[in-house]
Amino acid sequence: MSRRLPDSLVRVGALAAKEALHIRRDPRTLYLGLFLPLIMLLLFGFGVSFDIDHIPLAVADQDRTAESRALLQDFVAAHEFELKGALPDPDRATRIMAAHRATAVLVIPPGYAEALARGDTATVALLLDASDPHSAQQSLARADVMAQVATARVAAASGLLAGGGDGLPLSARTWTRFNPAGRSALYLVPGVTAYVLALVAVLLTSLAVAREWERGSMEQLFATPVGRLEIVVGKLLPYLAMGVVQVLLVMTAGAWVFGLPFRGSLWLLSLASVLFMLGMLGQGLLISVIARNQMVATQASMLSAMLPSMLLSGFMFPIENMPGILQFISHIVPARYYIAILRGVLLKGNGLAELHTELLLLGIFAVVMVAVSTARFKRKLA
Amino acid sequence: MTGAGEPTVIEVAGLTRRFGRFTAVDHVDFSVRRGEIFGYLGANGAGKSTTIRMLCGLLAPTEGDAVVAGFRVSTEPERIKRRIGYMSQRFSLYPDLRVRHNLEFFGGAYGLWGRHLAGRIDEVLARVGLQDLDDSVTHALPGGIRQRVALAAAILHQPDIVFLDEPTAGVDPVARRNFWSLIRTLSEAGTTIFVTTHYMDEAEYCNRVGLMVAGRLAALDTPAALKARHVPGRVWMIRGPSLGRPEARQRLAALPGAIQVQTMGAGLRLRLSADSPVDADTIRRALATVVDQPVEVEADEATLEDVFLAVVDADAWRRGTAIARGEGPP
Ligand SMILES: Nc1ncnc2c1ncn2[C@@H]1O[C@H](COP(=O)(O)OP(=O)(O)OP(=O)(O)O)[C@@H](O)[C@H]1O
Ligand SMILES: [Mg+2]
Repeated sequence: MSRRLPDSLVRVGALAAKEALHIRRDPRTLYLGLFLPLIMLLLFGFGVSFDIDHIPLAVADQDRTAESRALLQDFVAAHEFELKGALPDPDRATRIMAAHRATAVLVIPPGYAEALARGDTATVALLLDASDPHSAQQSLARADVMAQVATARVAAASGLLAGGGDGLPLSARTWTRFNPAGRSALYLVPGVTAYVLALVAVLLTSLAVAREWERGSMEQLFATPVGRLEIVVGKLLPYLAMGVVQVLLVMTAGAWVFGLPFRGSLWLLSLASVLFMLGMLGQGLLISVIARNQMVATQASMLSAMLPSMLLSGFMFPIENMPGILQFISHIVPARYYIAILRGVLLKGNGLAELHTELLLLGIFAVVMVAVSTARFKRKLA
Repeated sequence: MTGAGEPTVIEVAGLTRRFGRFTAVDHVDFSVRRGEIFGYLGANGAGKSTTIRMLCGLLAPTEGDAVVAGFRVSTEPERIKRRIGYMSQRFSLYPDLRVRHNLEFFGGAYGLWGRHLAGRIDEVLARVGLQDLDDSVTHALPGGIRQRVALAAAILHQPDIVFLDEPTAGVDPVARRNFWSLIRTLSEAGTTIFVTTHYMDEAEYCNRVGLMVAGRLAALDTPAALKARHVPGRVWMIRGPSLGRPEARQRLAALPGAIQVQTMGAGLRLRLSADSPVDADTIRRALATVVDQPVEVEADEATLEDVFLAVVDADAWRRGTAIARGEGPP
């Protein structure tokens, strides 16, 4: 037995070194591994921003009083809404929105100032273009805040409520508690990290192994004394290393470009990253062991890793808003837990106490995936 | 080295492999001695690769067994793998890697490393005559050179037996001859070679040749003994103008004891049974009335191709009768 251990190390080392050479000689792999993460980060950070400000607003002011103008002023003061024009009559609102000239129309009915003066409830209407439900929801949330600001101002001015600021509902503040400027770039970095790791780990390993089946080199490998666990470890190590580089790259770029904070423990983050990647690498291996063909492996990777990591992980869409069945499925998407850990560690400074469940689930997924794929990896041909 | 008096290193008994209901290798028996060059000849799909895979411990036999380098393929395939080198039919080396990196990888797969590995790489490259090529990217090399590198990779760990599955397929004739002289050198140094091929002329280089027909080992012996047994009689080569006329062929085929008339380039090749009274003069006289000028007639040798065709014909005939009797192929 004492002679077996070094032999095994030599074999795993040879496999890992060979795989690293393949990676180095294939520009596609390098592109996928190193440039794609950065491009994704910048794309999501700047281009597809989830922050909504300068919402184009039209106003139909039928009251035309100092009070109605003050309300409009409240809406546009913080630049969250931007006044694009005034409508003579609220019936034009639909047309304006259909023409994409405004996504929100504020309608102030006649008698607004009078109602305020009487101390009655003054009603205004905000019409929203909800064809993009996400922005509509944000607009609504902002309008809500504006209305409260206006109410406070009016109340303070009329002396009905002393010290109006205290009357503001807390919910308006908690919404942005961990991300005060509502900057979704910060919120997105963890999502991008998880997505890119899932993509690279699953796709590249499944391709690397499927390529050996296709070419027939797997048979050549099986004719050597290399064991199947050695093949698995030797194949996965270089991609694990590549994943570590990716995490560092995305985090550094996130900190540098978007001012991503790092409030929690580096060890926790590293552990979670390694567990997550092991799970993804195991999944890629499993795909290639079953498919044995690069084209099928690519499609299976897309369906089983990239899409869930993007759509069902909380990266793009909040899990709470999903239909029940999707929420249920999201429980078996490891990216969900990894993103939760990243957000917790980076933005909230959470530690093991808050995140141990997610960490445990990632660990279970990793062990199951690597074990199942190694077991399915038969060292016999047909 | 002919292998006579050497110990047996491969012993195959009743080796059989089925894929579903199809029998790819059917109760094959043979043994190979140390240092022998053992050739395995057969048409596409005859079961050559399937036999090699079982002997290398890659595929479990359905029935029967084999002892390779002292270990049973059915129970100890992993121990066999350390003692053999294998060049598979489909794959030779990673095309995107340099020659040296390929060799480093395969050396590592057999547990070699460090200075010892570097020394072995230099040795095998020198042995296959490619010491200057270690920095070339493999896909840029011509097929014949690549196969030599693959052979180098298969002998890095100094195996007792080397299995080569159609190592010269698609390689030009000069490269094929070079490759075979490498094989001979290896066997002279005591390495046993088990090699499959499509090329009948290559089989002449082997100490013994097994002929596979549809999964069965239809004949096995030295090339000379195979010829004496399956192609007895004489072979004449006839050269001259106007031999392309159909009458020329017909006259030859009508001679007593004529077995086969083949067109060879501009000439004809006549195979006669051992008891045929026909000689060179008889042939000239038979052709005198159909050709304009006298023909050149000389004695030729039977080739393994003749053997192969004779064996395949005999096998087809035997199967034909078996089917006629309603038994189907075995
Ligand atoms: N894994 C498999 N599953 C099903 N059938 C197989 C399998 N491997 C081989 N066969 C069949 O067994 C037969 C023998 O195949 P084998 O590869 O041994 O032939 P071969 O003599 O090496 O032929 P070639 O000269 O084409 O390499 C073929 O008909 C082939 O289709
Ligand atoms: Mg074959």
